[in-house]
Amino acid sequence: MSDIKTEAPSRGEMLKRLRETHAVSVERTQVLFRAQKQMQQAICQFIRETPKTVPEIAAEIGKPSHEVLWFVASLKKYGIVVEAGMCGDYPLYQRAKEAQA
Amino acid sequence: MDNLHVDTLVVGGGIAGMQAALDLADQGFQVALVEREPSIGGKMITLSKVFPTLDCCSCITTPKMSAVAHHPNIHLLTYCELQSIEETGSGFHAAIVQKPRYVDARKCTGCRECEYACPVTVPSPFDRGLGAYRAIRVPFSTAVPQKAVLDMENCILCGKCEKECPAGAVDFTQQPEPFEIETTTIIAASGFELTPLNAKKEYGGGKLRNVVDPLMMERFLAPTGPYGRVLRPGDGKEPTSIAYVQCAGSRDQTLGVEYCSRVCCMYAVKQAMLISGALPMADITIYYMDIRTFGKGYEQFYQNAKAMGVEFVRGKVAAIREDGEQNPVIKVELTEEGRIVERTFDLVILSLGMTPAPGSNGTTSTSLSASLGLPLGTDKFIAIPAPNANPCASARPGIFVTGTAMGPMDIVDSIVTASSAASAASAYIREHQKEAVYA
Repeated sequence: MSDIKTEAPSRGEMLKRLRETHAVSVERTQVLFRAQKQMQQAICQFIRETPKTVPEIAAEIGKPSHEVLWFVASLKKYGIVVEAGMCGDYPLYQRAKEAQA
Repeated sequence: MDNLHVDTLVVGGGIAGMQAALDLADQGFQVALVEREPSIGGKMITLSKVFPTLDCCSCITTPKMSAVAHHPNIHLLTYCELQSIEETGSGFHAAIVQKPRYVDARKCTGCRECEYACPVTVPSPFDRGLGAYRAIRVPFSTAVPQKAVLDMENCILCGKCEKECPAGAVDFTQQPEPFEIETTTIIAASGFELTPLNAKKEYGGGKLRNVVDPLMMERFLAPTGPYGRVLRPGDGKEPTSIAYVQCAGSRDQTLGVEYCSRVCCMYAVKQAMLISGALPMADITIYYMDIRTFGKGYEQFYQNAKAMGVEFVRGKVAAIREDGEQNPVIKVELTEEGRIVERTFDLVILSLGMTPAPGSNGTTSTSLSASLGLPLGTDKFIAIPAPNANPCASARPGIFVTGTAMGPMDIVDSIVTASSAASAASAYIREHQKEAVYA
């Protein structure tokens, strides 16, 4: 038996290794994250004062309506956006802060 | 993770796997239930209601999930991958890997503070990609166990979750942990997948936003669904005309799915009835070749749907295209009238069929059967050599099959076969124990 003990890597070293191992996915996700942030800000800005439908938001920010719906659904799930009535066959969405004020 | 010695290893934590595990555990046997996802519940926990009773799915599934998690004789192993199975003299030896959650499950309380802090939003497979969750999250509101899991592929390693977690449970240093299970019997309960939405280019090849699969519609109808109401995913419009295309992924030689998937008629009828309740003004049309209502109370259920105003039209849909307003336009041959017509709808649901679940590595539908050394039937589901005499016995002694791992079936039949497989496994274990005593 050898007396030499191998010490477990420290948390800092493990995190460094993790960053190296996942460098590609971290970089890809950071690009995705920046795009998501822009989209979410654009949506929230447009529906701050007046509730809007998904096609109205899509036309305003120049993005496909299915993408806008996905973002609106995610913002609604986390309480940032709420439904604020209907306009014809389309639900209206507004930023929660202003809708509840 | 410690190695385990159990009487039965159940592979798959859907309704069939859970029922089989509970039946055996209630008889006093030690059971290990291995599930590759972070939560048990399978497909059933994603559904809105069941046919023909229209009971809430969650109300049936959640107590079973909870019972599995709290049963003293069940070792619940979620987020684990089965790597290999070897036969030993006394049973089987399974090699399993616990995938890293990057969250200490013993510390995590399921409070979701990490999820609220996480800045990255990703499509949620629980909502068929139509809803979203965060890179770190509790998979869904009734997940068992209520523990967060971090998706490293979509993490920017910003550390916000770690800072916000009141229990100090986030652990970026976790690694995959291999462990082993010795077992006398195995029950395969690996479930099913739908025929891919993009399988038929005649039906838009998955590119038409307002042509959806039936599990998407289940999520629209569920109170916890992505929109909280029935909306079409193309632009968020509340649909006023909806069509179902039956046999869109079954009974089709061109797809290699020649069999009837058995549940499509009934789930279409059920969803049509639920839509009638959610959207009373909507016109609902079901295009069918023939309606198969084989189970107890199913024919009456179908007649009820007709009485509620759901329109059933015998016809074969040849093609689906989109008009300028994202409305699906279907071209259908009305077989009783002998003519072809085009009709425009707000939303179309393809009644897709059942195919075997993909393997643990996601590359092949047969990897579980390959790991278990089980032959497949012509339909690619696990073969049952003597379905009349031993309806759940596989070709290998000691390995039993349940639920949709053996072929398309509904929830009622999945539960029946689960109890049947548990009973067969129980008899096998007792016989095995007797042999060990007299040896």
